[in-house]
Amino acid sequence: MADADASPPQAGEPISEQEALRRLRQSEDSSQQYYGAWWLGRMRSQHPEAVPLLQQALRRRRARDSGEGVEENAVARNAARALGKLAPAAQAAIPDLLDTLQDGDDGLREAAARALGQLAASEAIEALCERLASGPAVAGAQQANSPRLVEPCEALLEALGDIGVNEPRVLAVVKPFLGHESPLIRSAAARTLLQLSGEARWGELLVDLLDHPQLQVRHAALMDLGAAGWRPGFQAIAATLAENSLKLIALRGLVEQGSGDPGDEALLAYMDTLL
Amino acid sequence: MSQVSLVAARIAALQQAGSALALLQATQELASCADASAAPVLVEVLGFNNPGAAVAAVKGLISLGPAAVEALLQLDPVNYGARAWAVRALAGIGDVRGLELLLDALGSDVAASVRRAAAKGLGQLQLDELPPDQKQDVQGQCLGALLAATSDGEWVVRYAVAVGLELLAAGLPAGSPERQQAQQGLLTLQEAADGTPPVVQRRAKLALSRLELQ
Repeated sequence: MADADASPPQAGEPISEQEALRRLRQSEDSSQQYYGAWWLGRMRSQHPEAVPLLQQALRRRRARDSGEGVEENAVARNAARALGKLAPAAQAAIPDLLDTLQDGDDGLREAAARALGQLAASEAIEALCERLASGPAVAGAQQANSPRLVEPCEALLEALGDIGVNEPRVLAVVKPFLGHESPLIRSAAARTLLQLSGEARWGELLVDLLDHPQLQVRHAALMDLGAAGWRPGFQAIAATLAENSLKLIALRGLVEQGSGDPGDEALLAYMDTLL
Repeated sequence: MSQVSLVAARIAALQQAGSALALLQATQELASCADASAAPVLVEVLGFNNPGAAVAAVKGLISLGPAAVEALLQLDPVNYGARAWAVRALAGIGDVRGLELLLDALGSDVAASVRRAAAKGLGQLQLDELPPDQKQDVQGQCLGALLAATSDGEWVVRYAVAVGLELLAAGLPAGSPERQQAQQGLLTLQEAADGTPPVVQRRAKLALSRLELQ
């Protein structure tokens, strides 16, 4: 009953909430913990033990050692993602997520940043800004032996937008990333500025990216316009060369996050035609 | 060139298309003939794993309407990719011969994009020419499948169920138990239940308000 992007990280039979908690609680088999953490987030578990167990999994992360297995970090990454999905019930985990934002593993920092955004944790603004402060040339540079960036810029930028505190210091940190060489990072920066300020010029930047020759960039711009709920982008979204599934997600964002013209009824009528 | 030889020439062009782009163009040209003899070839295109060409073929098959249904139903059921496109075409055509495939797709297809197409399709079958008892039977099957899918795990399928229920209910007699059940299903989707996003609630609310005005 799920699309590829919503499928479990490993094959598994359907399990109960009790079973998911049991798998996360044991510590013999980290692949079972991995699945348990994923399950609790996916099913939006409200069990009182879920958040404490996920916090524990975050604390058991390990310093990354390229020679060693990194299973504990894989569990911690899933735990961070699950805590984001359990927002706002996972407020208690904000200090653990802030610690994780200082981890040496950039994949973990990425998961922590996204979760802090989903929790709308204004406590995280300073740390997020610090991570980005060195700008596209340093934080946004490619790592020596990997296509990944020094900092998980997309996640850090988007978290600032999701938290939604419009302050000059935040805008000053975000703006330089509009000049990043990757259109995905430029899209993330424009989305954040649009969410924070509501200024049309940032929405127009995203609309320009809907024409990008790479499908991946058009997808990102669609998701970003949706996340910002920017209704003036409606016609451009409708005309984008992309699958209906992606347009439907973007239009859902316009309905839920946006206001003004076009109104709900026009947006819903167009969504009906994409089914 | 006569219509018959035009269609034959375009079929030949499609079968010789050597690239993804050539296939897309050939499919668009064949679809624009609006000729029923093109249907089996357009159905074949659904299995070529070329999304652009498949979209053009679905569009062409829908515009052929009932004349395309036989070819669609003869599709090899193990060709999963083609079947997903066929569900979209059948949903758009609205011919009652597609009922079984749409019911099956909504109830058990793994892809949300196929289930959402089936949900809308079950709401818009053309049933006016059926004898009254058969019409009622088909409506009952559509209603049952749509109500069951109000608890689908994906929001976009629940959204499509709201659309399907509105379309179906509009064709049911006012005050009938079936229409009340359809409205009850919409009420469920309208409620702020766990995990039902606002967009689904608003769509269900809109459906209910339109049905009230009828």
